[in-house]
Amino acid sequence: MSLPIVIADDSLLARKVLTKALPEDWDVAISYASNGLEALAHYRAGRAAVMFLDLTMPDMTGFQVLEALQHEDLNTFVIVVSADIQPLARERVQALGAAAFVAKPVTQEALLPILKEYGLYA
Amino acid sequence: MPDRVFTELQRDALQEIANLGMGQAATRLSGLLNAFIELSVPRVRVVAVSEAAEALREMTGIDGPVAAVRQGFRSEIKGEALVICRSGEIAELGSLVGGRAGDHDEDPYEDHDALTEEELLFDVANALTGACVSSMLDQLGRMPVFSQPGLLGEAIMLDEVFQPGLLAWDVALLVEVNFALEDQRFRAHLVMLMAEESIHVVSRAIDALLHSL
Repeated sequence: MSLPIVIADDSLLARKVLTKALPEDWDVAISYASNGLEALAHYRAGRAAVMFLDLTMPDMTGFQVLEALQHEDLNTFVIVVSADIQPLARERVQALGAAAFVAKPVTQEALLPILKEYGLYA
Repeated sequence: MPDRVFTELQRDALQEIANLGMGQAATRLSGLLNAFIELSVPRVRVVAVSEAAEALREMTGIDGPVAAVRQGFRSEIKGEALVICRSGEIAELGSLVGGRAGDHDEDPYEDHDALTEEELLFDVANALTGACVSSMLDQLGRMPVFSQPGLLGEAIMLDEVFQPGLLAWDVALLVEVNFALEDQRFRAHLVMLMAEESIHVVSRAIDALLHSL
């Protein structure tokens, strides 16, 4: 069965870049979200074994999504993909339970070690 | 003419390109001020220059006097970057950058301090413009050359920032990104203005980028 993943970013370009950076042979079912609320809805519907999460989004930011997930069972690997590369941003998302942080523009070289580390992709 | 210039897809791409530039600039500013910079979604609009001040008032929520620094950039895409903040707010940054700890017995109105504020404004402008514009043009496959920055004024109104005579064009692409210091009032706004000719180059560069995906 395909692994359900969510790509949450308000930018269509960013969603495309991320989709292209995923390993070609990774068996996944992708759901897209253009803000934090949609990302949470996908999560609650069981479509987010892995969530690729942008930080600066309208309606609900990535930080707020992480906070909300902490009140749920946090049964997902959140990989933050953000242009906000301030060291403190990275520390904060990790304190909020994110599994990893990847700087934009995201590349497959940056994603592969993380996916392998968590056993998400062999 | 305004917002027919870009398709929805191109606007989205330009906004994301600005987002990456903003991230680079925030990191520089964060290092300069030893503070965490809160980022928001960049905004992109094409406006007639006669409407630019009004558009910027709307985007920034600024109605009063501002301090503004302008810096030109050239490549196949050329334009001007403006860094704008509310007049007086730059003074609040003095305590963050250090070196002024023993200053409090000095007269705050003496020349030395006025100079320091101007330098600080140029430092902020330089960090934001250099990082953001370079990153954005790099993503569009261009490498900018910057001209010397110049002070437009320390307490001018937004209308004065966009005097038609100052900008040799009728239509401008406004890219507004704003940087908020956590737990501080200070906000800096970076606005990029590009003339029509450059807007078409940007448009083609975005298409090339989208096509490569």
